[in-house]
Amino acid sequence: MARYVVTRLVQLFVISFIISVVTFLLVHLLPGDPTVVILGPNDTPTARHELLQQLGLNKSLPAQYWTWISNVLRGNLGQSFLTRQTVTNALSVAVPIDIELIIVSQIIALAVAIPLALVAALRPNRIFDRSATTSSFAMLSLPTFVAGPILVLIFAVHAQAVPATGFVRLSGGLGQNLKSVILPSVVLAIGSIAVYYRLLRADLIATLQEDFVTMARAKGMSTPYILVRHVLRPSSFSLLASAGLAIGSLFTGAFVVEALFQLPGVGYQLVQAIYSNDYLMVQGMALVAAIAFVVVNFGADLTLTFLDPRVRRA
Amino acid sequence: MATPGVSRVSPRRGGSVTIGVNSEINGFLPSTSHFDNSGYIYANTVFDTLTKVAADGTAKPYLAKSVTPNADKTVWTIALRPGVTFHDGSPLTADVVVANFRAVQQSPLTAQAVKPVTNVSATGPLEVTVTTNEPLVPFPHYLATQIGFVVALAQLERNDTQHPIGTGPFSIVSWEPNDHFTVERNPNYWRNGLPYLDGITYKPIASDQSREASLRSKTVDLMVTRDPNVIRGLRHDTAFQQVTDLTRTVGQTDMDFIMLNTAVDPTNDIVVRQALAHATNADELVRLFGAGIASPNLSMFPPGSPYRPADNGYPRYDLAKARQLVAQAAPNHGGTIKVALGTITDPRLLTQIQAVANMWEQAGVQVTVNETEQVTYIDNLITGAFQADTVEMFGVSDPDLNYVWLSSTTASGPGTIALNFARNKDDVLEAALQQGRTQSDPAARAAAYQTVDKRLAQDLPYLWTSRATWSLTGSNVVMNFDNLTLPDGSPAQGFLSGTFTPTPIWRRA
Repeated sequence: MARYVVTRLVQLFVISFIISVVTFLLVHLLPGDPTVVILGPNDTPTARHELLQQLGLNKSLPAQYWTWISNVLRGNLGQSFLTRQTVTNALSVAVPIDIELIIVSQIIALAVAIPLALVAALRPNRIFDRSATTSSFAMLSLPTFVAGPILVLIFAVHAQAVPATGFVRLSGGLGQNLKSVILPSVVLAIGSIAVYYRLLRADLIATLQEDFVTMARAKGMSTPYILVRHVLRPSSFSLLASAGLAIGSLFTGAFVVEALFQLPGVGYQLVQAIYSNDYLMVQGMALVAAIAFVVVNFGADLTLTFLDPRVRRA
Repeated sequence: MATPGVSRVSPRRGGSVTIGVNSEINGFLPSTSHFDNSGYIYANTVFDTLTKVAADGTAKPYLAKSVTPNADKTVWTIALRPGVTFHDGSPLTADVVVANFRAVQQSPLTAQAVKPVTNVSATGPLEVTVTTNEPLVPFPHYLATQIGFVVALAQLERNDTQHPIGTGPFSIVSWEPNDHFTVERNPNYWRNGLPYLDGITYKPIASDQSREASLRSKTVDLMVTRDPNVIRGLRHDTAFQQVTDLTRTVGQTDMDFIMLNTAVDPTNDIVVRQALAHATNADELVRLFGAGIASPNLSMFPPGSPYRPADNGYPRYDLAKARQLVAQAAPNHGGTIKVALGTITDPRLLTQIQAVANMWEQAGVQVTVNETEQVTYIDNLITGAFQADTVEMFGVSDPDLNYVWLSSTTASGPGTIALNFARNKDDVLEAALQQGRTQSDPAARAAAYQTVDKRLAQDLPYLWTSRATWSLTGSNVVMNFDNLTLPDGSPAQGFLSGTFTPTPIWRRA
C-alpha cells in the first residue's frame, strides 16, 4: 500500500509539472494582447513597448516561465494585470465558493441517487425503476443553462424564497449562506443525480446476482437487508470513482452555473480572465484548478484502493 | 403622476441598497483605470468631479467653486471649495488637483484627452490655473469626465487602483472584483445633509436576464440595463420605477451603428459604403430588435439636439439603389464585393448582425459574419484590422469630447494604432471640429456640429442604426435615484448612457 501511495505521489508531481508547462504555453497561445486591455484605445506604440517591458512580456518564453514558476514555488502566483488583485487573493475568494458548491451539490446528488438506486434495484424493470430511469435520462439531457433559469423563475422570482444571484459568505450567517448556494447546488446536482443513480443501480443489480447474495437469501435474510448491509459497499466503487471525477471537474466546470448565479468561483473568474487576456490570473487559476483536479482524483483513487483491494493488485 | 426616480417628500436617512450593474471595472484610479458606465457609477460614489453636467447641458462647478476662463478661453482658473477633505482626512488643495492633472497628462490612457493643455499650476492654496494651446471652449465639460475626478495624494502616490480615496459621498468598505463593491456613508461629506443612505453594495451581474431576475427576486434594489427586452419587461410593472435616457437630448447620447474602415478594401470605396448604407434598413432592425423601446436614428445626434441638422443627407434605405451601386463598384474589387461584418461575442448582437448581413446579401454583397471576444475586437478597431464592425459609442456631454474619435489628426492607415478607428480623413469635417472646439457662440458651435453630421453622412464611416437606450429601474423602496441637484440648487443631468450618481438616493422604510 505504501509503495502504491509513493508511486502515485511521484506521478502527482510529474503531472503537476506538465500541467504548469502546458498551462503556461496555452495561455500564451491566446489571441490578443494584454496591453490592449490595460492601455485601452488610447495606447501608443511607445506605451505598449514600455508596458511589455514592465510586465516582463518582452522576455523569451522559457525566461517568462522560469520567472513565473519560481514565484509560484515561493507561493507568489502574481497579480492581475487589470485589477492589481493578487491571484492568491482572488483564489481565496473563489475557492471557498467552489468547495461549498461542490460539497452541497454532491450531498444533494448522493442523498437523492443512493435511495433511488436502492429502491430501483430491489425490483428492477418494475414501474418505479422504469420511471426513475426515464427521469434520469431527462435529467441528463437537461442543460444547466435551461434548468437554472427555470428554477430561478420558480424559487427566486415567484416564491422569493432564495436570492436569484450572488453568494453570501458563512460570516454573513449560515441561513443566508445556505440560501445563496442551494439553488446553484441543485442545478449542479441534477446531472450528477442521473449519473450516480444509473451507475449504482446497474452495479447493485449485478451484485445481487452474486453467489454470496444467494447464500444470504438462503440463510433467510430479507432482500432490503442484504442490499444495504452486503451489496451496497461492493457496488459503490464505480459511484465513488465517478464522484471523484465529478468533484474534480466541477471545480472549474461549474462556470456556467457560476455565471448564471453570479458566483465568483474559480471557473467564472477564469473565464473572465481569459476574455481579458489577464495572463497571470489565467495561469494561476488554471494551475490551481488543474492541480486540485489531480489531487481530488488521487484522493478518490486512494479511497477506492482502501475499499477495494483488487485495485491495489491491478 | 409621480416622476420615476424623483421624490418630492422628505427623505429618510439610513438603510442601504444593493445595485446591479452590467460590468466590473478594472480599478479606481482615474488616470489608469478604464471607466465604462459602471466605472463612472463607482467613481461617482467615492469621488467627485470638479464640474458636473447640469440638466440644461452646461457644465457647472461641483468640487470646484468656480471655473473661469480668460477672454479667449486659453487660460482657465479653477477655484476649489474650502474645507473639503478626502476620506483619509487630508484636505483638498490646489497641489492635490495639480498632481491629479499631471497624472492624467502622463498616462497613455488619458493624455490624448488633455493634449491641448500646456501648463497646470497651483496659483494659490485653493486655485489652479490651466493653460491650453488653443481656445478650449468645452474645457469645463472635460472636468466632468474621467479626468475631472480628484483622488487623494495618498492613493495617487501609491498608484493604487484598488483602494479609492476620494471626497465622494461614500467611502470604500470592500471591493472583490466580480463579486461586490461595498461602500459606507462619508460622515464628513462636503455637501451638507448628503448622502442619505448608510451604505451601498454594487453587484456586477453580466447577464441582463440574471440582473432582471435579481431585481424581481429583491436580490438587488436597483439595476442598470440596455437590453430593450428587459427594459420593456420592467417598464409597465407597477412594482418598479423606471427611467430611460431615450428622451434625454442634453449632450450626446450613445449611438448604435456599424463602423466601416475607410482605409481597407473594399470599404475604402465610397461607392461601396454608399451601397451598404442604402442596403441597411434601420427601421427593420429596430422593429426586429428594439422591442418597441428603441427608435431608428440616422444621425450622430439624437432628435431635439441643436447639433442635428434638419436633413443631414444620410442615404435612406433603397435596395434597388444599393444593388445598382454594388454592380457599379464590383468591377473595381475583383468582380465581387466581399465584406467581413464583426461583433463581440454577445448572442443579442450576433443575431442583429446576421440580420444586417442578410440585408447586405440581398444587395449583392458577400458577407462573412465574425464573432470576436472583446479584447481582440478592440485591438482590431485600434489597429484597423476590420472592415465593418458593430459599435456603440459617442455618449458625451459635449460633442468636442468626441474629437479624438473623429479627427483626421488621429486617423492613420491599417496596421498602425489610430483613435479614429474608421480612419476617415476629411478636411471640411476637421475644420468643423476645430470650429466647435474653439467657438464660444452656441449658434456657431451648433452650425459646426451640424456640418460634422452632414460630412459624416457623405463620408459614411458610420452606418447609423439607432440610439442606444439605457434604463435604470428600481423597486419602489428606492427613492430619488434620478434627482441629483448641484450645489447651486439647480438640477443635474439625470441618468444617461448607463451612468448616474447615487448621492441623492434614499430608502423607504
